Amino acid sequence: MTDSLFSSLVQDLPLCPISLDGVVYQVPAQLTVAAALLYLGQRTIGQHPVSGEARAPLCHMGVCFECMLTIDGVAKQRACMHQVAAHMQLQTTITGPS
Amino acid sequence: MAKDYDYLVIGAGPAGMAAAIEASQVGLKVLVLDQATSAGGQIYRNLGRSLKQQAQVLGPDYVAGKPLLAKFMAANCDYIALAQVWHIEAHGQGYSVAAIVNGETKTFITSHLLLANGAMERPMAVAGWHKPGVMTAGAGQILLKSSGLLPKQVVLAGSGPLLLLLAQQYRAAGVTIIALLDTTPKINYWRALPWLLAGLSMPMQLLKGLWLTLAQRFTLPYMSGVSSIEIIGQEQVTGVRFKVANKEYELACNLVMLHQGIIAQTQMAQLLGCEQVWHEAKQCWLTKTKLDGQTSCPGVQVAGDAGTIGGAALAQLQGQLAGRTRALANSLHRPWRLSLVTFGIGLRIKQLLWARGLVDRLYQPASWLTKPTGNTIVCRCEQVSAQQITAVAAGVTGVNQLKAFTRAGMGPCQGRQCGLNLGYLVAHAQARPMAQVDPLTIRPPLSPVTLGQLERRK
Repeated sequence: MTDSLFSSLVQDLPLCPISLDGVVYQVPAQLTVAAALLYLGQRTIGQHPVSGEARAPLCHMGVCFECMLTIDGVAKQRACMHQVAAHMQLQTTITGPS
Repeated sequence: MAKDYDYLVIGAGPAGMAAAIEASQVGLKVLVLDQATSAGGQIYRNLGRSLKQQAQVLGPDYVAGKPLLAKFMAANCDYIALAQVWHIEAHGQGYSVAAIVNGETKTFITSHLLLANGAMERPMAVAGWHKPGVMTAGAGQILLKSSGLLPKQVVLAGSGPLLLLLAQQYRAAGVTIIALLDTTPKINYWRALPWLLAGLSMPMQLLKGLWLTLAQRFTLPYMSGVSSIEIIGQEQVTGVRFKVANKEYELACNLVMLHQGIIAQTQMAQLLGCEQVWHEAKQCWLTKTKLDGQTSCPGVQVAGDAGTIGGAALAQLQGQLAGRTRALANSLHRPWRLSLVTFGIGLRIKQLLWARGLVDRLYQPASWLTKPTGNTIVCRCEQVSAQQITAVAAGVTGVNQLKAFTRAGMGPCQGRQCGLNLGYLVAHAQARPMAQVDPLTIRPPLSPVTLGQLERRK
């Protein structure tokens, strides 16, 4: 985890606990999962299945498929298409053919 | 044949909302499927739930969607949010639409279909655009609209109204814009000149655009005529290198937002077999439609930016006309007043399409951006570089054979991020016009479906 490249426009928003690769973080409740990762300073999501390099979302609107991770046990979910929810379990470490 | 709906609308942006309002007013059974959390499309994304501070930064054009959104939410139609359409096929006289809703596949049957699923950003394949720290300007705006996130520092690069608007919004919010690198080629100003009259037909819009351009040019570190952009960094972005008039520059940064206009999302229409046409001025494939959105497939209409790139006002009018046409088709007698209003909307659509001609020509992608070279990744999903593609591009029958030879276009995005550039590279290698290089074939599923989601089928 690095310094976040982003900050929240509105401060003091209600927070929501999410678990990322087993570690619990508090994030503003209105974020998408992809936005929550950026907010936390998680600049990459998993490894590219072909090159093995770290990758990160490009479009945040569901057309680049580069933010796929496992959400609550369901694989290959696009992080940008989901809102965070209390106690959501995110896993970026499970990889497989995509 | 069991028919769940008279009119199934895919997408709840300005076009989809307007069409659903029109069709539900005459008592048709209407369903709107939308992939987002709340209605509004990309332009009015999250509008119903946005906070005061977000609306302030995003400006009046964002808030302008409120009356339409309110009318849609009050309309007598079914609306399902977070619905991911992954297949559409002919079913008897109508169509069957499969979508993932709440983790399971649901199938809806409809007699008529409106595709209003909008546009996406034109992929800007510059060297290093696959590195973490690069995203699109649209992504930047989405993060602001849906999540209230702002970058601390950013380099904006590319061309087009959205890039300028984002710069304006970021400036208003106090974001440090390290530089705005404008790739608009000088020749575009000459290309656009004959269309000035078209632009002048909408003087307020023209003035607004002019103000937006000049305001950024004189308040930001702004460079025009930028080419040869290269994103540098090992695992993450550490800078951007570019040329202006053959002089090389380098800037240090961790975040670059790219943009070079938007293109229609034609996948659903292509899946159904609707005829596609290459639009030379807009430089993208469009689904061939009549003014009321009717495609070459019976019972299938397209409206808004999914059909033609023209912005929110035009999309709303197109949706309105599409919905009304659908409504009139079912009524036994056609009230002449309604027909007259329909005629009026049609005229206004034609005017907006004409006026858009100026923007189309002003922001055409620079030629160097349509010819990626060397190590530049063209297909992000399969990591296929420009040189791997150009090595075979001269001898292929088209992009579909190119896909078989190189794997470009075979990944989960199904060619959304590379299809257009594959076309350009084949057209360039074979000296063929783009109109003769058919786009990638689209097959279901339109987005990945898990076995679990298929199993829980309703």
